[in-house]
Amino acid sequence: MAVINLRNRQIECKLVFYGPGRSGKTTNLEYIHRAFKKQVTGKMISIDTEGDRTLFFDFLPLGLGKIKGCDVKVQLYTVPGQVKYKATRQLVLKGVDGIIFVADSLAVRREKNMHSLKDLHENLLKMGLSIRKIPLVLQYNKRDLEKKGLPTMSIQKMEHELNRQLKVPAFSACALSGDGVANTLTQALKLTLQSLQNEFKWAQ
Amino acid sequence: MDLGEKIKKYFKEAELYRSHGLLVDALEKYKSVEGLVKSTRTIRNQQGILKQIALKIELTSKKIQKSDGPKTTPEVAEDAQSLMKEMFSFDDPEAKGSSALGGAIALAKFGQYDKAIEELNRLLEYDSLRLDAAKNILWCWIQQNYTDYAVSLYQKWRKTKLFPPEEADSIQSYFNELMDKAGVDHEIDELESQRTVEPDSEIDDDEILDISSVRFVLPRGPKEGEKIELEISFQSGKYIRMIISRREKDLIDSINPGDLLKEIMFYSPVAIFSGEGYVSSKNEIDAGPKKGDYSLEIKIIKIVS
Repeated sequence: MAVINLRNRQIECKLVFYGPGRSGKTTNLEYIHRAFKKQVTGKMISIDTEGDRTLFFDFLPLGLGKIKGCDVKVQLYTVPGQVKYKATRQLVLKGVDGIIFVADSLAVRREKNMHSLKDLHENLLKMGLSIRKIPLVLQYNKRDLEKKGLPTMSIQKMEHELNRQLKVPAFSACALSGDGVANTLTQALKLTLQSLQNEFKWAQ
Repeated sequence: MDLGEKIKKYFKEAELYRSHGLLVDALEKYKSVEGLVKSTRTIRNQQGILKQIALKIELTSKKIQKSDGPKTTPEVAEDAQSLMKEMFSFDDPEAKGSSALGGAIALAKFGQYDKAIEELNRLLEYDSLRLDAAKNILWCWIQQNYTDYAVSLYQKWRKTKLFPPEEADSIQSYFNELMDKAGVDHEIDELESQRTVEPDSEIDDDEILDISSVRFVLPRGPKEGEKIELEISFQSGKYIRMIISRREKDLIDSINPGDLLKEIMFYSPVAIFSGEGYVSSKNEIDAGPKKGDYSLEIKIIKIVS
């Protein structure tokens, strides 16, 4: 849950990158860390990875400066994507204000995307939140792999399978090169701050 | 697409999946390649290619096994534990001391049990936090499959009347629930009556230094009379715990709960002292990387010099 201090005009909110294992959540955060140096207010922390897999979470604090008279700070987190870390995902999701769901465009990861989205839905329900109400953005990552000859799903197919009912903003991306990462993050922040405005009327 | 091209395409896919860490998908593709190569005799150096693919399959399978295998949650660095405490402590900010409790609970939920127990033990000092701290301590021990230790701790609390009756009832029902969930057959009173009555300790927890190892004479069994030295794996005040490898069968048979150890040398980083101890439990570890090894617990009852 965001911390909003209207007297000091400060907002601190939490965005979580969710998605199946190996979909590129940590890569998104690494790119943001490199590309948004001015906004990064602390070091990126990756807590204990196993090889290059996330076991706990990654954390990156950002400071967006003044928006509508408020000093806006954002905490970015990733969850571990592997199925067996469900409990950790639930813990990292606590207090979430907005979510970026990173889906893998590779055809072989189709089912993993769907299971992970279902897992997100279930975990939010357990916290009394609805996937249809929480600020959510989809990212179709690894679009570049099509050029390398790997079978990928078309955007239309991914939209149909993941976003048919949700109808949330979705972006193509290649987190490794950074393509689409900023757009995804900007849209997620916009939705999150709008949602907080509706709830707390923080903007002047 | 002719067969040769198909094989090349599948192999390239398998390699790319592997390089992206998608091991299961890579394995499937390698197997497809193997099937295709086997199905045609027109390929030059067929046996050599099959050998190479078999090696890829073997290596990928091993990697999958390694990453899927059972694991205990690793203990992370102190700064990471601080972040866990700070960022995942969801409690009532108005309640006194609640952030300390919330932080310790966050650590426990991330599987940082030793650190969580250390912090929760400190919170037992505070009236308003004691009940929640105690419940979470029991939860931590049960999560690590140290049921017997949790039982003895619970009994110790009952015996010392650490909690008023209402809180003691609350702990008992919580503990029973935990044991039910863990599938442990429990009847607390029954367990209590089966245990040898532990001798009281003459010393306060505060008086005990951090002990790194102990040396004592084995009181019975095949190694009776032999002196052994064991490293301490965990200490909570006057309770110290050691791990004995399953390979040390004679040693395991030479010490049992209820044994009184008259001459123990305690080695701490700053001093060496001697005293007496009582073997309060010996359990086979039934899960995790130390599965099959034994956990031995000694209660220090007297310090001589």
